[in-house]
Amino acid sequence: MTVPAAMMRKVLLTACAWLVALVVLAPYVQMLLTALKPHEELFASPPGYLPESWQFGNFLEVWRVAPIWEYLRNTVLIAGLSTVLAVAVALPAAYYTARRRFRGRRMFLLLVLVTQMFAPTALVIGIHREMLALGLIDTYAALILVNAAFNLAFSTWILHAYFSSIPVELEEAAWLDGCGTLQALLRVTLPLAVPGVVTAVIFTFITAWNEFVVALTLTSTPETQPLTVGITAFIGQYEVQWQYLFAASLIAIVPVVALFAYIERFLVSGLTAGSVK
Amino acid sequence: MATVHYDGATRWYQGTERPAVDSLDLRIDDGEFLVLIGPSGCGKSTSLRMLAGLEDVDAGRVRIGETDVTALPPKQRDIAMVFQNYALYPHMNVADNMGFALKIAGRSKDEIRQRVRDAAQLLDLEDYLDRKPKALSGGQRQRVAMGRAIVRQPQVFCMDEPLSNLDAKLRVSTRTQIAALQRRLGTTTVYVTHDQVEAMTMGDRVALLDEGVVQQCGTPRELYERPANVFVAGFIGSPAMNLRQGRLTEHGADIGGMTVPVSRQARATAASDGDGAVTVGFRPEAIDLVGEDEGVAATVTLVEELGSDAYCYTTFRERESAPGEVDVVARIDPRKPPAKGETVHLRVRPDETHVFSTATGARIPG
Repeated sequence: MTVPAAMMRKVLLTACAWLVALVVLAPYVQMLLTALKPHEELFASPPGYLPESWQFGNFLEVWRVAPIWEYLRNTVLIAGLSTVLAVAVALPAAYYTARRRFRGRRMFLLLVLVTQMFAPTALVIGIHREMLALGLIDTYAALILVNAAFNLAFSTWILHAYFSSIPVELEEAAWLDGCGTLQALLRVTLPLAVPGVVTAVIFTFITAWNEFVVALTLTSTPETQPLTVGITAFIGQYEVQWQYLFAASLIAIVPVVALFAYIERFLVSGLTAGSVK
Repeated sequence: MATVHYDGATRWYQGTERPAVDSLDLRIDDGEFLVLIGPSGCGKSTSLRMLAGLEDVDAGRVRIGETDVTALPPKQRDIAMVFQNYALYPHMNVADNMGFALKIAGRSKDEIRQRVRDAAQLLDLEDYLDRKPKALSGGQRQRVAMGRAIVRQPQVFCMDEPLSNLDAKLRVSTRTQIAALQRRLGTTTVYVTHDQVEAMTMGDRVALLDEGVVQQCGTPRELYERPANVFVAGFIGSPAMNLRQGRLTEHGADIGGMTVPVSRQARATAASDGDGAVTVGFRPEAIDLVGEDEGVAATVTLVEELGSDAYCYTTFRERESAPGEVDVVARIDPRKPPAKGETVHLRVRPDETHVFSTATGARIPG
């Protein structure tokens, strides 16, 4: 390839990358700009792209007009505990299916996958009845259980894949070095499965954080409602307070982005390089 | 230090027709270097893993010293193993890899450091103690795997084809290093390989397995000079022994027109046993190239020159009564190899032939 052609290729690729980034980011920019507009400007015709008077106060005001703190606390608790529960259940299941050959192993893994095919929306009535019977309506427990359950399949599969990729000889070496089964798992296998665990954590946490339909169905008071449900309070019967809705949405996004930025460094690949061969 | 006893040890995988290891009886002396060798799937690795506790024993027993370890988990057997793929802990540096067992055993930090350093010195690894396995070459990784075993000072070393991932040249030098190290440490060692050169050069004794059964166990020289059956005769030695079915005659055994000398005793035993159909074996080095009237005329099809040796692949037509071709490999003087297509005359030296029963494959003494 000639030098100008290589240059051309590079420029084109960069341009494409920026284009994709722009498409992805555009809604967020729109959200931010709308969140900074005063109420009267929202329905101005013709609509302006930039606010004429910048209302940075909207971001402070929103905490006052709705119990954002409570919603945020609920979301953090529900998403966090769902993640802990899902990973705690998926880890042993994934380890066992990766290491042992037993009758019905493939069937089990397929069944786990099949559960992933049901959308929460399709099951929401059943779930509501179930929680009603259990007396768990309008509790954290209900949302934690449901969120953990819906993310179990993905967590099990990703961890299963990770455990399968770790050579069994490493565990055997640990056994011969004096470890019991659990000790070998904790000291050798689990440290090597960290990228898989991180993937499962991120996926589960984000899904639970963004979950809306089930939370809307199962909760009815600000004491238990997560942010996704809470911010719908800005959608009134006659008008939508877009500036607050978007301000609260942006507030909801920040913790997830921060978490992802922090945890992403553990997603290094090739952790097992050099162990075998 | 300890002896190892396999006492009718059997491993039978579910859904297979025959046991992977069939009532293995082996006694390995204290400090001995025993090599398990055989073709793929012969049960040599399974036997080793039964000793290490990584494989269940379905029948029989395994003992280390006076202890019956048949039902003990690996961690209670005091065995160190070197795996074919080394199985180094990728998240630990070399020092931690080597000291891991001592750490689990609760030894003091000072003791661990000292013993790791001693082992590292022995294996020329001192400069790499802080490195992770991925930053090491193949040979260094192999040495770390060895180091992890010797730091332990275990009762028994188990080695499962530890050299097969090294390149040819390194394999030869590491082979002698491991053998020397074992002599020096005096630790009982069971070594699995499919490479007969490793088996012949490293082992005090060699056990040759096929289909889960020991075919012969003895010193390398015994296996080479007095193979117990046709399988051993064909497996040990490279190029392989010439093995041909033939008929006993007054002068020896006749294979397609070539008469191979067979001892009187062997002839007598074979004749009393049955029909006189035997399998005759002679190694390439048991053949002399002779003058026109003294041996069988054969055509050279290929000459392999190895520098110190040369092997001549020849073929001759059988007598008209039983048309067909007989292939014979002969070791020849590397300084004057015949050309391809040339006719040479072969004669098998007396006293260097092996006779086996065609029916059972067993050696007929003589």
